[in-house]
Amino acid sequence: MLTLEGFAELQAVMPEVEIREDSSLEGTVAIFPKTEEDIASILKYCNEKMKTVSISGGGTKRLKAGEEKADIKLSLAKYTGIVEHIPGDMTVTVKAGTRYQELQDYLAGYNQKVALDPSWPEFASVGGVVAANDSGPKRLGFGTARDAVIGLRTVYPDGRVIRSGGKVVKNVAGYDMNKLFIGSMGTLGVISEITLKLRPLPKAESLVLLSFPRERLGDLRSFVCQLLDSMMEPAALELLNPALSQKLTGADSYTLAISFEDVESSVAYQEEFVKRNKPENSRLTIQKNKEAQLFWKKVYSIAPMGTPVVEPPLGTSSLAAAALKIGVVNLNVIEVAKECQLITEANSVIAEAHGGMGTGVCQVVLRGASEDISKSISYLRDFALKLGGYATVKQLPHDLQGEIDVWGEKPSYFFLLEGIKKKIDPNKILNPNRFVGGI
Amino acid sequence: MAFKKVKSSDRHINQLARIVGGSSSILYRKEDLLAYDCDGFTIHKALPKAVVFPKNTIEVSEVVRYCHEHNLPFLARGAGTGLSGGAIPLNEEVIISMVRMKRLLSVDLENRRAVVEPGFVNLKLTNSISDRGYYYAPDPSSQYCCTIGGNVAENAGGAHCLKYGVTTNHILGLEVVMPNGEVIEIGKNGIPDEPGYDLLGLITGSEGTLGIVTKITVRILKNPEAKQTVLAYFNHVSDGSQAVSDIVSAGIVPAALEMMDKVAIEGVEAAAYPVGHPKDIEAVLLIEVDGISAGIDEQIRQILDVCRNRNVKEVKVARDEAERGRWWANRKTGFGAMGAISPDYLVQDGVIPRSKLPEVLSRINQISNESGLRIANIFHAGDGNLHPLVLFDARKPGETQKALEAGSACLKVCADVGGTITGEHGVGIEKKEEMRFVFSDEEIKAQTDIREVFNPKNLLNAGKLFPAPGRCAEVKKEIKAAASS
Repeated sequence: MLTLEGFAELQAVMPEVEIREDSSLEGTVAIFPKTEEDIASILKYCNEKMKTVSISGGGTKRLKAGEEKADIKLSLAKYTGIVEHIPGDMTVTVKAGTRYQELQDYLAGYNQKVALDPSWPEFASVGGVVAANDSGPKRLGFGTARDAVIGLRTVYPDGRVIRSGGKVVKNVAGYDMNKLFIGSMGTLGVISEITLKLRPLPKAESLVLLSFPRERLGDLRSFVCQLLDSMMEPAALELLNPALSQKLTGADSYTLAISFEDVESSVAYQEEFVKRNKPENSRLTIQKNKEAQLFWKKVYSIAPMGTPVVEPPLGTSSLAAAALKIGVVNLNVIEVAKECQLITEANSVIAEAHGGMGTGVCQVVLRGASEDISKSISYLRDFALKLGGYATVKQLPHDLQGEIDVWGEKPSYFFLLEGIKKKIDPNKILNPNRFVGGI
Repeated sequence: MAFKKVKSSDRHINQLARIVGGSSSILYRKEDLLAYDCDGFTIHKALPKAVVFPKNTIEVSEVVRYCHEHNLPFLARGAGTGLSGGAIPLNEEVIISMVRMKRLLSVDLENRRAVVEPGFVNLKLTNSISDRGYYYAPDPSSQYCCTIGGNVAENAGGAHCLKYGVTTNHILGLEVVMPNGEVIEIGKNGIPDEPGYDLLGLITGSEGTLGIVTKITVRILKNPEAKQTVLAYFNHVSDGSQAVSDIVSAGIVPAALEMMDKVAIEGVEAAAYPVGHPKDIEAVLLIEVDGISAGIDEQIRQILDVCRNRNVKEVKVARDEAERGRWWANRKTGFGAMGAISPDYLVQDGVIPRSKLPEVLSRINQISNESGLRIANIFHAGDGNLHPLVLFDARKPGETQKALEAGSACLKVCADVGGTITGEHGVGIEKKEEMRFVFSDEEIKAQTDIREVFNPKNLLNAGKLFPAPGRCAEVKKEIKAAASS
């Protein structure tokens, strides 16, 4: 907690910076830097005074309302804007607080995009997407933040600004420090600027939805294997379990959402491949361009949203559900989807699941009574572990009581993670307890 | 197990020999060690204490543990094709050669992954799965002999990384022997996004200074359905370079987009794989697009249009796989080809924002004029990775020195326009000092801080990657002295 005295001191040290009591969390202050120097002086102050800092971008990735206690909330909501965009080099540099969708809208004017498809693009900040390494179904075709980020400026807890990578798309000078900060959940520094490589907007896009009756999972598997073994190039090959498929497509069945992005002739050719090879009992629908984009937008909005800075639209209940990320070997995504469906049918919990058949990364939203959600989390984690994978918790309902293990068991090499944290944030002021093993 | 004992006067040699299984798995006589005094970077040489050839992770771990306990410097070596001196034993290291750990451990086509030992040769992986239509994407020019372990250490690139990414984009899991001998596994089962800081990404490209990789899970890809290759000749570099920008602006993502300038063309045409490039042009572009067959023709048509709009002198599409193969052989042997027109050459590896190419080429031209040395440019134009090849004659007094300085000056130009000093060859010994062109002392310290977490005694591959604080001037002098001797 920051005392009144501390509050006054902060204001005295940084008269230019907006500081106010944090409405969402009693007894803490929120601080809104507008420059990198501001960020540096805030962190330096906190580091010297041993004050803990919770970093916030769009607020969509908060684990649980009221959970992330710290003396000071450092909000990047006012540290926004595009620093540099060189269309010919297909790179853009952006301040961390910039809303993801705003960046995409701007780039669309140049027929370019950042090839990431995170959750809640209208609300999430670019910095948050990178710090949480958030990804969506199209990571199959275009990769993740670790492929798109080419440079970062990161403010260390002691106020140093450390550049990593650069503005070029190929770079092996020194350690690849970008990787260290991507997905570090703000526990090592405040990412202030991000340089991303861009891709051209596709000339055509189509979404092929292929629904299978529940008892036909074997057919689904064979079809997926056939498609993956073909030379088709889906940008996404996402399996939805019936609980989610019902919601997104109206079909109460296992559904494959297949995305093709390319020139028109290539997209049509790939649609033909699916039509030609689809198993007999499956049902096929195709959505084009805008319609396809609308579908994916729905996918990006199924998870709960943490505590967004911007008021969410009516009807999106942000806190009454839990979200999990489960990683398994690619084809085991079918097992995860199936298990989530069984949970839905057996318990009072609804488990909406989707996962990439070419990536092995699944997202599961659990809705229901807190107690049941809690049990389902442990159950699904054990299930993922048995498959040789992992499960992590992205969001929790605000009324969930008791301890939930967010990240699962510490890895055997935890000493390295701890060692890195100690080197960079020895006083443990940044996002305390937000990462693996209590880092 | 019965094995021949080693009887050296050095107890460490005897102990190391015992760990790896006797005299057939260790070299320690001076005459045997000479082959290990440098790698693909031949300007600096030093002898190791010994070279050991472990057969498995346990032996690697035991060797490392022994070195750790007895404070013996050590480093890992693959095929020794590295171009920046990363495997050169600066501190009389025990070299741990990975060449006997060269098995392909498993291939799982359904889940698109393969597990290899570090000594497994890059191209062999593609060859092992090509009958089923799969391949391993990173394709450094030395892929017929370089090892995947070495590729991980250097985060190797290649001509096709424009579309498919470099090594780090294809690594799913690693087994690593830590500098104290402990064995860790990262990216279990090759499943992505393992919770925790991204150590996979950090270790890949760490040039063998954070740990020794003993098992690698890689992503494998399905061959593209179709592939077309275009060759375009330009009278002016600026037209060629503008064509590169236009192709990218047209929304095409080529699989490869390569450029060679006049001096480079002279070299490749005089060497083993000439293809009849005209001598009087300033630039040749080699452009490859791949993907769905139905979409390729349209892209090729667009590329031809772009080239014509930029005053191309001649442009042609490869008629068949044989012709395509010849064009690529001509390009991929480009470095070595400089041997046909110059007794010695030095390869540099800068990266620039693509749009700065004309400016950078003219400044390199200036460096060439000032130094009196010819400089050929081979360029991964699509991703801005420029390889200036400084041609020189080491027999002429002072010329090696001049070449080194010209190479360094080229890197300075790259850094000054917002680029970097190495895109795929690594820093090693060669570009330690040039790290200061792109990083501040604080930023270099941030990196050595990380090294300290992994490699606190700094026995593993010490003296690489980072300029020594405060001693930089002396080290530079030392390297230069070695170069001119």
